[in-house]
Amino acid sequence: MLSHLVVGAGLYFGDSIFYVITFLLLLWIVKVLAWKPVTKMMQDRADKISNDIDSAESSRNEAADLVQKRQTALANSRSEAQTIVNDAKTNGQQQREQIVTQAQTDAQTLKQNAQKDIEQERQDALVNARNDVADLSIEIASKIIQRELKADDQKALIDSYIEGLGKQHES
Amino acid sequence: MNDGPVSTFQFLGLTFSTANIASASIVFVLVVALVFFTSRHLAMKPTKGQNFLEWLIDFTNGILKGSIPTKEIGGFGLYGFTLFIFLFLSNELGLMFNIAMPNGATIVRSPTSDPITTLTFSLMTLMLAQFAGINKLGYKTHFENYLKPFKVWIVISIFEEFTNFLTLGLRIFGVIFSGEMLLGIIWKLAASHGIATMIVAVPLEMAWQGFSAFLGAIQAFVFVTLSSVYISQKLEVEE
Repeated sequence: MLSHLVVGAGLYFGDSIFYVITFLLLLWIVKVLAWKPVTKMMQDRADKISNDIDSAESSRNEAADLVQKRQTALANSRSEAQTIVNDAKTNGQQQREQIVTQAQTDAQTLKQNAQKDIEQERQDALVNARNDVADLSIEIASKIIQRELKADDQKALIDSYIEGLGKQHES
Repeated sequence: MNDGPVSTFQFLGLTFSTANIASASIVFVLVVALVFFTSRHLAMKPTKGQNFLEWLIDFTNGILKGSIPTKEIGGFGLYGFTLFIFLFLSNELGLMFNIAMPNGATIVRSPTSDPITTLTFSLMTLMLAQFAGINKLGYKTHFENYLKPFKVWIVISIFEEFTNFLTLGLRIFGVIFSGEMLLGIIWKLAASHGIATMIVAVPLEMAWQGFSAFLGAIQAFVFVTLSSVYISQKLEVEE
């Protein structure tokens, strides 16, 4: 049964050499056919998975950043809106006050002008009236004088008249 | 199993066994066919064949990683992978086919049921271990490992190399050879007394075939595991 194991009875070293050559050839064929492409594919896959994990991580961070930015922007816009409303309110208030003040000032000015005008008119009227009275009195005086011109009477009359005018004017 | 006459032939002054050459050629073709048909249309998303092949590669790489540091595996991955499928198919071949020539000499059986095969692979592994050790550590460090922990240890170290060579080769040979031999004996029993023994022996034969298939896988696994252990021993400096 084990006769072939006895040295000299047929220990076939040729087989050994055949096996070594066959196996080396097999190694080469397996390497070219399967080992290289498959291990390369496995490596590629491992790389892809790790890349995917990395990119997922980065896009997650990006999304978180965007959310952060959006929230900041939202808060900013809220406060901005608040500011705008406040500004508008303040502006409106100021304008209102300005308009009212302007109106008051205008009214004041108008009133003063009117008073001035009235005063002016009154003065003018007074001056006119005085002139008229003087003219009238002169006319009256000349008419009276034409009738009976006596120097004494005349003098007394003019004095009293002038005195009367002064009193009238003072009052 | 080669109980009867052994068919041999001479070539270039060397003796060849027909059974070994024929069986090894069949296994060679089977291995090439296996890796060829499973490695077609490689894709990022693996399909059936590619899944199987990748699983096999992961499996043998896993065996190697058990003893060799991951960064030093390199080409040993290819060696372990090819060795594993070659030995596995060799172990299983004899369970399915045991073809004899008319004169009784077997020509197709497990190549691993012949010690010359297994010892060749054993020697190949140990040579590879030596080569890897010298390649990584240099001649001086590599051979100084034999003198550690003390100089007298060299006797044991060299003896250990020899026993490694024998045990690695003969373990797988013993299991596969005995498996095939028992299959033959059971078959003889089945054929001995007609239908009566056939009924008893056929289930026995089937059970033993199943067990042998299991043992064949285990032995291929053990061979690759021990190969990686022997290689890894040569890759490190002993304290």
